[in-house]
Amino acid sequence: MEEFIRAEQVRFVYEAEEGASEVLKGIDLTIGKGEFVALLGHNGSGKSTLAKLFNGMLLPTSGRVLVQGIDTADEENKYEVRRRVGLVQQNPDNQLVASIVEEDVAFGPENLGIAPDEIRRRVDDALRAVEMYEYRASAPYKLSGGQKQRVAIAGIIAMEPACIVLDEPTAMLDPRGREEVLRTIQKLNREKGITVVLITHYMDEAVLAGRVVVMDGGNILMQGTPQEVFSQVEMLKTHQLDVPQSTELIYRLRSCGYDVPEEVLNEQECAAALTRLLTEYGAPRQDSPLQ
Amino acid sequence: MVRDITLGQYFPGNSPLHRMDPRAKIVLLVAFIVFIFVGQNFYALALMTVSVLAVVVMTGVPAGMYFKSLKMILFVILFTAVLNLFYGSGQVLWQWGFLRITQGGVNNAIFIAVRIASLILISSSLTFTTSPTDLTDGLERLLKPLTVFHIKVHDLAMMMTIALRFVPTLLEETDKIMSAQKARGADMESGGLIQRVKALIPILVPLFVSSFRRAYDLAMAMECRCYRGGQGRTRMKQLHLTAVDVWAVVLTAAVCAGVILLNIFMPSIWA
Repeated sequence: MEEFIRAEQVRFVYEAEEGASEVLKGIDLTIGKGEFVALLGHNGSGKSTLAKLFNGMLLPTSGRVLVQGIDTADEENKYEVRRRVGLVQQNPDNQLVASIVEEDVAFGPENLGIAPDEIRRRVDDALRAVEMYEYRASAPYKLSGGQKQRVAIAGIIAMEPACIVLDEPTAMLDPRGREEVLRTIQKLNREKGITVVLITHYMDEAVLAGRVVVMDGGNILMQGTPQEVFSQVEMLKTHQLDVPQSTELIYRLRSCGYDVPEEVLNEQECAAALTRLLTEYGAPRQDSPLQ
Repeated sequence: MVRDITLGQYFPGNSPLHRMDPRAKIVLLVAFIVFIFVGQNFYALALMTVSVLAVVVMTGVPAGMYFKSLKMILFVILFTAVLNLFYGSGQVLWQWGFLRITQGGVNNAIFIAVRIASLILISSSLTFTTSPTDLTDGLERLLKPLTVFHIKVHDLAMMMTIALRFVPTLLEETDKIMSAQKARGADMESGGLIQRVKALIPILVPLFVSSFRRAYDLAMAMECRCYRGGQGRTRMKQLHLTAVDVWAVVLTAAVCAGVILLNIFMPSIWA
C-alpha cells in the first residue's frame, strides 16, 4: 500500500504549560493511502494532539511528520499540507463559518482561490456526498448535530483532500447523529477512496476501521485489525480501555468455559454465536429471541 | 424570552427587490435616505413617501412585519413629533401659559414623523429582502476602494459574517445558561435595577468563557480550511448587475430629480 502519512519518532510538549510533561513520547506510525485507521485511547492519551500534528496545525517538538513526502514543518507548504489532510473537529457548532450551508462549504475552496464555477461544482458534489444537498440553503443553527457535523465534513471534502482526520466527530452527537456521521465516513472511504483517520474513544466505532491503533500515555500500545486488537481483552483492561460490549460478553462466556468463537466484534456476530451456543445446549432453534 | 429578539429578519421571496444586487440596494437605500431629508415642502415629502410605500408594497413582505418594525420606534416618532409641535414660529393655533402650538410647529411635527417612519420602512425593506450574507458581501465589495486607506475591509466583512453566524448559537447558549442558573436558585425576575443587573453576572461570565473557547475552535477550523485573509481568495457567488438593478437606478434617479424640481418650483415650508 502506498504510504500517505508518516510519523517518525514524534515527540510533543505543549510549551504554554511550565514543566509540562510530554504528550507524545516518540510515535512511529504510517498511514497508507485509502486506509481507514481508528486511533483509540482514553482522555490524555495524546490522540487529539497526534491528529493536529497530521495536518501541521501543531508541529512536533522533535521528530517529523511527512504527508506524501512533504514535511509538515515546511512553512512554504503549510497550506498544501492542510489541503491534503483535512481536519474535522469535535464540536460541529464551532467549525461552521457562514450562516448558509452552501456558503460554509464553499469557504475552503474560496480560500484556495479556485474559480467560481469550479467552487460551485465542488460544493454541490461535497453536499451530495454527505447527503445534505437538500439543505444547501438552510441556516446551520436549524440543523441537528449530526447534520451540522456532516456539513463540516462537506466543508473539508470540498477542498478535495486525499485524507480526512476526524477528531472525535461523534462525541457531542446523539445516537442517530453518530450513525449518520459514521455512515458518511465509511462511504467516503469506500466510494471516494479518501484515507480516513478516525479518532475516537468509542470501541464500537473503532471496529468499523481496517486498522486500529491503540494509544496510551503518549505511546502506541498496540495496533492491528479490529479482531487482533479486541481479542486481547486482558491487555486492554489493564490499560483501562473497554472492548465492544458484544466482545466483552463473549469474552466472559469464554472465560467461564463455553465454546464460543474468539473474534466477535458486533451484535450480529455475537447473536450468531449465542444462537449456536443455545442450540448446542438444547434450546429451540425457532422462536429464539436472538434471531 | 431571549429568542424573541429577531436579528437579520430576512424574508425569502422572489420579488424584484429580492432579485436585486445587494450593492445596488445599499447604494439606492443611501440615496433614498438622503432624499427623504432633502425635501423642503409637502409635495416633495409626499413624493418620497409614495415612493417608499411603493417599494414596501413591491417587496411582497407581509405588512405586519413593517408594522412591527414601526412599533419598535413608535415612541421615538411620537416623542420627537410632540416636542416639535411646541417649536417653530408662524400663526399661533393654541396657547396655554408658555406652551404654544404654531402652524410652523405642526408642519415640523408632521415632517419629522413622516421622515422617520419613511426611514424605518425603507431600511426594513432592505433587511427583509437581503440575506445577511448578501448584505455583508455587498458591503465588502462596495467598501473595497477603502483598502487604499489601509482599512481592512475584508477583515471587517468576515467579522460581520461570523458575528451574524453566531448570534443564534449564542442566544441558544444564553437560554441554556439562564435555565441552568435558575435551576440552581438564581433569581432574575425580582428586585430593583441594581439587583437585576447583578443577577446577570452569573450568566455573562460563563457566556464569555464559552465564547472564548468557541473563538479558539473556530480559528482552528478556519486555519484547517486554509484561511489566510482576503488575499488570493475567490468567491463562489458572483454579484451581477441585471436589468432589475438598472430599472431600480433609473426609477430612483427619477424620484430624486422630482424632489429637486419640487424643491425649486414650490415654496419651502421654512421660507
